[in-house]
Amino acid sequence: MAGPLIESALFLLVLALAVGRWWPRLWLGLTLAGGGAAAVAAVAVFAAGAEWELRSAILLGGEPLHLRLDAVSGMFVVLVAVVGGAGAVYSCEYWSDRQYPASAARGRVWWSALLLSMLLVLTASNGLHFLMAWEAFAICGYFLITLEAKKPAVRAAGWLYLAASHAGTVCLFAFFAALAAKTGGWELGPMRGDAALAPLFWLALAGFGMKAGIFPLHIWLPSAHANAPSHVSAIMSGVAIKMGVYGIVRFSGWLPEPAAAGWVVIGLGAVTALLGIAFALAQNDFKRLLAYCSVENIGIIMVGLGAAMLARSHGDAAWGRLALAGALLHVWNHGAFKALLFFGAGSVLHATGTREMSRLGGLWQRMPWTAGLFAVGAVAVAGLPPLNGFVSEWLIYLGLFDAVAGKQAPAWAAMPAVILLAMAGALALTTFAKAGAMMFLGAARSKPAAHAHECGGWMRGPMLALAGLCLALALAPLGVWPALASAADAWHGGWSAAAAVPLAKLGWAQLGLAALMAAAGTFLWRKVRTNNLRRGPTWDCGYAAPSARMQYTSGSFGGLAAGWFSWVLRPLRTLRRPRGHFPLHAIRLERVPETMLERVIQPASARVMQLSTAVRRLQHGRLSAYILYVVAGLAALGTLVIMESLP
Amino acid sequence: MNSILDLILRLDCWLLLAPLLPGIINKVKAWVAGRRGPPVLQLYYDLARLWKKGVVMSTLASPAFVMLPAVTWVALLGAAMLMPLGPLGAGLSFRGDALLLLYLLALARFCTAWAAMETGSAFEGMGTVREVSYAVLAEAALIAAVLSLSVQSGSISLAAMLGPPIGASAVLLAAGLFIVLLAENCRVPFDDPNTHLELTMIHEAMILDHSGPPLAAILHGASMKLLLFAVLLVQAVLPMGQLKPWLAAVVLAAGVLGVTVAVGLVESLLARFAFRRVPLLLTTAFLLCLFALLVAWKGGLQ
Repeated sequence: MAGPLIESALFLLVLALAVGRWWPRLWLGLTLAGGGAAAVAAVAVFAAGAEWELRSAILLGGEPLHLRLDAVSGMFVVLVAVVGGAGAVYSCEYWSDRQYPASAARGRVWWSALLLSMLLVLTASNGLHFLMAWEAFAICGYFLITLEAKKPAVRAAGWLYLAASHAGTVCLFAFFAALAAKTGGWELGPMRGDAALAPLFWLALAGFGMKAGIFPLHIWLPSAHANAPSHVSAIMSGVAIKMGVYGIVRFSGWLPEPAAAGWVVIGLGAVTALLGIAFALAQNDFKRLLAYCSVENIGIIMVGLGAAMLARSHGDAAWGRLALAGALLHVWNHGAFKALLFFGAGSVLHATGTREMSRLGGLWQRMPWTAGLFAVGAVAVAGLPPLNGFVSEWLIYLGLFDAVAGKQAPAWAAMPAVILLAMAGALALTTFAKAGAMMFLGAARSKPAAHAHECGGWMRGPMLALAGLCLALALAPLGVWPALASAADAWHGGWSAAAAVPLAKLGWAQLGLAALMAAAGTFLWRKVRTNNLRRGPTWDCGYAAPSARMQYTSGSFGGLAAGWFSWVLRPLRTLRRPRGHFPLHAIRLERVPETMLERVIQPASARVMQLSTAVRRLQHGRLSAYILYVVAGLAALGTLVIMESLP
Repeated sequence: MNSILDLILRLDCWLLLAPLLPGIINKVKAWVAGRRGPPVLQLYYDLARLWKKGVVMSTLASPAFVMLPAVTWVALLGAAMLMPLGPLGAGLSFRGDALLLLYLLALARFCTAWAAMETGSAFEGMGTVREVSYAVLAEAALIAAVLSLSVQSGSISLAAMLGPPIGASAVLLAAGLFIVLLAENCRVPFDDPNTHLELTMIHEAMILDHSGPPLAAILHGASMKLLLFAVLLVQAVLPMGQLKPWLAAVVLAAGVLGVTVAVGLVESLLARFAFRRVPLLLTTAFLLCLFALLVAWKGGLQ
């Protein structure tokens, strides 16, 4: 069942790739059909509980083609299909041929190529082909990010993405080459028996972690996601960085890991979650804020995965399965609500032309749909009930709490992780209260915001679908449990028996709460209408001449909590105090730079360049000096040889 | 039939008794100051009056401004339903319900913040920022408290976690949770509910623009939240699990009354702290809960 479906999905996407340039509607149909087929194939794999394999005699790069789809890759295939399809629909209006005649057609082709290469990454079961698909995927990402290549910021972001991506790929080349050298072939598959492979895990963690955006490897992520077109940001943030997660999940499942691996992954995850959201809170650019929030969510996923790895190495404790199921569900959830949020952000950008929150405000009046849907995404991403973000975080928490109750060594990782996750959750709430409030509430802070317009049906439809998906994942978590369980069992088979997960009760509680909340809200609105509702200016403690500039700005909103993290955020401050009795000028500016990039990576690379320049002085074209180098080198070698031969 | 009775009794407890608490606090404060003070039932009169009144809504605000207080109220009521009530037990109990409770409180906070920002008033922005930012530290303290209770009982369901055998960690936990109670319910020394200066408010600044039935929902929700924290504090510390049902009920009621009087006394004897000292106090609460966790861990190993 799965075989023909996944093959036809690949075929349909190839067709879409071919026709995308000329026939947008046909391209859309083919993409949706291909995505649908891939998703159904993954569901078939979950249902059958058996993996699908294709071994073909076709040689590619000297290696026979070998594809495989199991429950772990199935989880990610569904994600690619759903967000890929939604983004394709969204792009019809957002990046239409009429508005972007130069790049719209290009965008469609690269979009299909990206989906295709991601599906190949997920199904490749040969190291060489994995690398090829990975490289193709990275390059498609580059061309999608730089669709608007006329803007210098976009080109810079694209270059940074490409450089970082290839730094990661270097690690992966080393990883797959070493793996092939040690196992004697490029074939991939479960090989946990061979303990000599364990150290390779670090290479995989570095290479895939770069793509996933684990702190401090996230340097490329904020600018790439902020400068890309919004439907591209959505798939980059919702799906592409999950390919890094997939790599780590995949090879921690297939290969043996060093003893410290679980501890490192859970620690990195907790730090990534907390610092990612701290950076998000300090942003003024709403797409950068969403990008940093993706860093946080990758951290949450890593915490779940790290807990699972710890559990596996401590007697297959059942709580590891819970944490892993939570992490995998969070992969889906984050894909759904982050794509929704980026679509919402795109629609705001489309309507106002600015990404700065301190120039927006009051958009709900002109964009009620976008405002409402963004609010749904905000509640979901903050991990609040009754939406889906809560369900996956709850599963991870459940695993961690069980680890604490188990009172073995992993409890010492689980306790700090729980506390950091809770703080990250509260910071996420702050961040999205800020984002929602600055963009949609209050009064418009600039002219473009006052004259915004609502997005059309092609943009609203995918947002509605994703919001519906968020709600469905939240209210019927039991429906996705079989998929999660089969993926967790495909990752590791030997979990010890566990108490049943009360997902049904949680689902009913969420459903009851959601229904009651809707009913109570409507009832109160009606009651207020019958009581007598008057409109007036905001009271503002009686101040008679309020202006939009008196409102809290994004900087003042985030300032309090972000101030606690100034040791890592390192904000740049400009302060000119008011002087004299009639001060005319007073300035207080605060901007959070890309701290890791500007304070760590760039100085380091500048130092490397300095060193290289110094070394270049050795090369000046004077033959006599070169002869001297050769003689000196020979003499040194000779000394070495003589020293060796001495007893 | 029995379950319906149980539900009615439980709803009565939360809906009808909660507004007593602010009244008791005010009475205690009045006594300490040598005044007569407002009647204990003042909040009931206020709620009844507000329910009949009309609403003035800012021109900037959306209908969500009116609806979100109702959502907040339902979230708090949902959290209350998860909280065991001594011999009554919890309305709904499952593994991990403690986390749902914490996150429902967070949802209530989010909705209040969103409604406050609807008005575009700088005062409400100020209050919102303080509320959501300080909550980060309060949340850390609360989750550490939940962790220590879970280590003590080996469970993650509130029904099993609360009413533990008395241990050394109880004192630490009581102190930590009491500070969190003061912070989350915006009492002195974090916030002064009676101040007239909006610049120094937290919670009250967020609800400046609310009026009529939505304000009634907010005030009633706030009193439920206070009762929720008092019940949590009493049950987290006192060994009610070992008592007979009627005795447990009496102990719970007396405990909640004691906590309420203590809040009143604190308000009478302390002034509001400067805002820069608030994070310090909350960090202290977090450390107290963390030490409670370590003590519980140590106790469990022996």
